[in-house]
Amino acid sequence: MIFLFIIIPLLLASLMPLLGKISKRFLPDLLANATMLFLLVFSVIYAKPLIAKGGVIQQAFWFGAPINIRLLVDGFSLFMLFTISLVSLAVTVYSINYMEHYGAKANYYALLLLMIAGMNGLVLSSDLFSIYMFLEVAAVASYALVAFGLGQDELEASFKYLMLSAVASAFILLSIAILFGLTGGVGFGAVAAGLKTLNVKFAVGFCSALFIMGFGLKAAIVPFHSWLPDAHPSAPAPISAMLSGVLIKVSGVYAMMRIFLNVFGLTPALTTVLSVLGIVSIFVGALAALGQNDIKRMLAYSSISQVGYVVLGFAIGTPLGVLGGLFHLFNHALFKSLLFLNAGAVEQSTGTRSLDKMGGLAKRMPLTAATSAIGSLSIAGVPPLNGFWSKLLIIIALVQAKMVVLAFLAVLGSVITLWYYLVLQRNAFFGKLNENWKAVKEAPFWMSASTVLLALLCIATGLLFPLVIKSWLQPATDILSGGVGVALNFLGF
Amino acid sequence: MHLSLLIGLVVFSILAVLLQDLLKAAISLAAASIFLAIVFFRMNAAYAGVFELSVVAGLITVLFITAIALTRSEDPLREGKFHRLLFPLFFLALVVIDVLVMKSLLGRIPALTSPEAGTFGEVLWKERSFDLIGQIGVIFAGVLAVLALFRPSGKSSQGDKHE
Repeated sequence: MIFLFIIIPLLLASLMPLLGKISKRFLPDLLANATMLFLLVFSVIYAKPLIAKGGVIQQAFWFGAPINIRLLVDGFSLFMLFTISLVSLAVTVYSINYMEHYGAKANYYALLLLMIAGMNGLVLSSDLFSIYMFLEVAAVASYALVAFGLGQDELEASFKYLMLSAVASAFILLSIAILFGLTGGVGFGAVAAGLKTLNVKFAVGFCSALFIMGFGLKAAIVPFHSWLPDAHPSAPAPISAMLSGVLIKVSGVYAMMRIFLNVFGLTPALTTVLSVLGIVSIFVGALAALGQNDIKRMLAYSSISQVGYVVLGFAIGTPLGVLGGLFHLFNHALFKSLLFLNAGAVEQSTGTRSLDKMGGLAKRMPLTAATSAIGSLSIAGVPPLNGFWSKLLIIIALVQAKMVVLAFLAVLGSVITLWYYLVLQRNAFFGKLNENWKAVKEAPFWMSASTVLLALLCIATGLLFPLVIKSWLQPATDILSGGVGVALNFLGF
Repeated sequence: MHLSLLIGLVVFSILAVLLQDLLKAAISLAAASIFLAIVFFRMNAAYAGVFELSVVAGLITVLFITAIALTRSEDPLREGKFHRLLFPLFFLALVVIDVLVMKSLLGRIPALTSPEAGTFGEVLWKERSFDLIGQIGVIFAGVLAVLALFRPSGKSSQGDKHE
């Protein structure tokens, strides 16, 4: 049944071009939104009880007959499925209005659904090669979506993204090939068991380096980030939200952490490398964001910075650090999607992305301004919003692990974040209304509905954080902090 | 295994990277791929050999040459000295790492165990069914990407105002 997470979006994507012939807008809008709503509800009602007693490997069936597909459902994969479904729903709701002027809506939804199917397949994979396959599904769909506007900038950004991403894929594939040669298998359990019996530290180190380069490029951690500030702003706003909100985390952070924590086992060397990369990402992203005038580019650099926090949390490796990393991953998915969607609303109303030309828009677009303020304060870590708690957890975990310098730097990074988000808010929404924007109107209904939903979720996650931690984050933390034992015990089928 | 095949593979691969003329580079890549296909055949991986020959040496080369034929050559792009030095350095580093990794692996690599063994068809259809779905997804994404990117018009004037 969990197979539906992959097969429903895949089937619907194949039908979309045909549906588009029958109805240009209504049917694609309806079906894409209904699918995402279904998957979100399904992940809570059906999938959540599955992991009540820990992870399971579920056999897939095709018309009643079992097929050789075994999907991994545990706390971590389910948490990712939930996050993907939640952000996807917000994005499809927003697309109803936003994608009107792009044309070819059915094609757009088909690509979006394929990207979602790819991400769902990736998080449900129980072996390395399937991770690679579904990584490519999501990636190929995302190249096309980045270029969807067909302008010069979009095509150039997409090409750059494609080229660097292909290099990342090559590194990942090479590493999988070496591991296959070493252990004779590609399943998480088989690889973990094989590496345990062999004493091949050098080869494992080399594979880890390849994975850091490959998945690091997908996750856009510094120094592998150069494609992101072009690709994410060029995409249509809902796709920027999807890419920054979930894609970089699923195809980069999820895959990397699943392999490092559950298959290889976190070593002190890995902790050092990842935490340094995390801290460098936090600063490079934040300082670069500070100098941006293009609102979406600022948000893109901010994504690099925030992914740094997520990686830093995981790199500590203690249960609290992992919990903080997971929580920040979820929170960032919420507020970064929200901010990108708001930037899209502003761009659509004013026709500009330049912060210099904006000003005073709060008077004309009160909902967008209010939700954007909530998103900005959340991402900057202002209590009691959700970003505060996740950053606090990461910082406490750093202090507990005696990494006081890193903890101090993480706080400093957060201060810079607050700084550039205040600049963004002031230049775009506050101050005197720019004469040009007298006739600007608030974003259309579905766009506002989507951003309000995400803003409310930011507040709710902040206020009800113990509940979120208990129900969604703790099972995922248990899996990740269980280390290699998890792969050996229940994935070694 | 004939060492000459491997040397041919490496030499033509390097040529594909270093040659400035795109056409020659594409043909070098095809030649490298033919060497690789022969290596596959000699190692009893007939299916891999057939795919390597038909897809990489055949189809992809045709696509490359078509694309090159469709473009006009303008002023040749001169690469800086730094970039020219970078590839040999990178290549040398990779060779050193490769030798070290392989040395540490020699004699340790276990024979492939049963789950992955079997005929090509059995492995592909029965053992790796999940990857086939991924494969379908990738091909499908490619088709949809072409449909989306070659559609008549992009976003309408509203989105272009700022450009």
